[in-house]
Amino acid sequence: MNVELQINNSTNTRARFVSWIPSPCRIRITNPSGATSPHGMNIKLSSVSAANGSEVVFRKGTTGAFSSTLTLSVPINGTSVPFFVAGRFGHPSTNNGDVRIEARLGNALVGSVKLMVRVRKNANNLTTAERDRLVAAFAQLNNQGAGRFADFRDMHTNISSPQAHGAAGFLPWHRAYLLDLERELQNIDPSVALPYWRFDQPSPNIFTLDFFGVSNTLGTVQFSPTNPLQFWRTDSVPGINRRPFFATNTAPPGLRTETQTLALGNAYPAFRTMEGNPHGSAHVSFGGFISSIGTAARDPLFFLLHCNVDRLWAKWQRQFNRFDPAVAASYDGAANPIGHNLPDTMWPWNGITTPPRPPTAPGGALASSPCVSAPGPQPRVRDSLDYQGVINSVSCLGFDYDDVPFA
Amino acid sequence: MTTKRKATKKSAKPRSTRAAMSVATSKSKPIKERVAALAEVPLAVCESDKDLQATLNVLRNQDEPIEVRLAALQSLQAASFSVVAFESCRADYIAALRKVATDPDPELRQRVLGILAREKDGFVQKKLLEGLKNPTKALVPAEKALQLLSYDIHSEAYSVARKIVENPPNEDAKLEALRLLAADAKSAPVFEKLLRDKNENAEIRQISAAALQALKPERLQSNARAILLDDSDHDDIKATSLTALTQFGDAEAVAKDETLKKQVGKISEKGGAKVKRSARHFMSKYGR
Repeated sequence: MNVELQINNSTNTRARFVSWIPSPCRIRITNPSGATSPHGMNIKLSSVSAANGSEVVFRKGTTGAFSSTLTLSVPINGTSVPFFVAGRFGHPSTNNGDVRIEARLGNALVGSVKLMVRVRKNANNLTTAERDRLVAAFAQLNNQGAGRFADFRDMHTNISSPQAHGAAGFLPWHRAYLLDLERELQNIDPSVALPYWRFDQPSPNIFTLDFFGVSNTLGTVQFSPTNPLQFWRTDSVPGINRRPFFATNTAPPGLRTETQTLALGNAYPAFRTMEGNPHGSAHVSFGGFISSIGTAARDPLFFLLHCNVDRLWAKWQRQFNRFDPAVAASYDGAANPIGHNLPDTMWPWNGITTPPRPPTAPGGALASSPCVSAPGPQPRVRDSLDYQGVINSVSCLGFDYDDVPFA
Repeated sequence: MTTKRKATKKSAKPRSTRAAMSVATSKSKPIKERVAALAEVPLAVCESDKDLQATLNVLRNQDEPIEVRLAALQSLQAASFSVVAFESCRADYIAALRKVATDPDPELRQRVLGILAREKDGFVQKKLLEGLKNPTKALVPAEKALQLLSYDIHSEAYSVARKIVENPPNEDAKLEALRLLAADAKSAPVFEKLLRDKNENAEIRQISAAALQALKPERLQSNARAILLDDSDHDDIKATSLTALTQFGDAEAVAKDETLKKQVGKISEKGGAKVKRSARHFMSKYGR
């Protein structure tokens, strides 16, 4: 007997990625030979971890507790049986395929599939292999200035900045932006998740020659000869300018801590003041590209900084249950500029180039994912809120943070 | 005891924007307190013209302690990220920056010139070029001026950079001039020459490789190959060459190049730690 296991309801090997969010899965018997019952066979699913690998847990339906094993009655006529898989919180993967789901009939192995619990982690704590895969994917995306990264650089400029800053849509816009970039990185290497720079904590491992580089006194970032980011190029100029105004084995001074940021208030308008401190303050704790809106996205560190801003929003959403766009405190209901109201589509993914939108829309539609269908090619502001699919499972954006649980 | 408890309670409570601004702009308060207050509420300047003008005054005032002026600059910069809210402040902000661009304090001057250069400010570009042509008028060292000019390269900057590469005041200036010229297709032969010069320092050869890879990738590929086959060349530039071929090389051509693969196999066993690592990445992509 053989069974087929589909992760994220897909046979595509690139869909074999889960996070803390329950992923819809299916099992079906593809070869019933040896079946003893004409109706259904009891197949037991379990999680088998590689050394230092991750763990997954199972449940039968959309609600209820997860468990480390699950037994399902699977018809022999090939009909699929649904179930859900999630990474066990606190046990993410470090390598693709470091956890396996095994399907057994009695003691006999009748099917298995390797997958990855892929979540966004603290960049300071990545393994060497995770770090190397990330910088290689960034370098490939940049492709010495000729790659797809140029679109991401062009999305975040002085001209386009009113679409993304200074109003309620600041957090939703950047969530979509990071997701688009992360999916492009995953098209290069599916084992990569965008990590975050926890700017309220010392992060010495980020500012090294083998990772995001070491700045000389002038602010020119230096890389080891083995680091592909030495070929980084934006606006036709090679290299990165970044001059830290703090010792990089410490946290920048004057920034609100995570605790202080989460305590800004339980309604979105109060929380959004984090756009100034810690967000703006983190940017200007350096000189160089990252310290001005028009050039910030030329530095790949920008994406790690914003990943932490997004993580803080995710943590705040979890703390106050602010996922539902229909709940007033989840967003700012005041009249906002276009692109900042819940029903508005977001530039540039909507392709609109008539005023007050910017005159060009680089990059086209938001990248799709083999794992989830949201937010679609032209996301609206509201599509950024329920990123875990808490209110509606189809809204799930397919990413998670290592320290923000699903429930 | 009561007094102590009261003091603790007071410091734990977040202060209002008004209270923070009052401390930030008060010359009688200690520097540390003023710096902390300025960092606390960057968006205050967007909400009140009075607070904006007070912060700009601190920035412009040469009698203020430099730490407080730098903190005022950082606070304004952080606020500038809230574009929509900051729009009404922008004109005053840019005018103040231009005034401070010639400030006697070198650190403040450098930071302000950086902000304006990133805004592609014509006034600053002119000042930087003037300083490169006539060092007595320089607002910042040549290497910094070249770095700042690279935010918006004009042909005039290329000719100045070429002269600096030929006759550099120091190694940093040469590096920054090369970085600027890396956008200039005419400079490809210069980069090729520097890349192959074993007497050049590692950083200059590294930037030359990056520039050549972008300007003439086929020349980088053939030079990288030659460097790898040369047993007398340095490990650092071999590691850079391997990284270029692994990440951006013509995969089909490299995969067929048995001589190169054999040599990289040798490097992966006998080279230093860095070059061995690059060689292993190369071998995992192209095989033995």
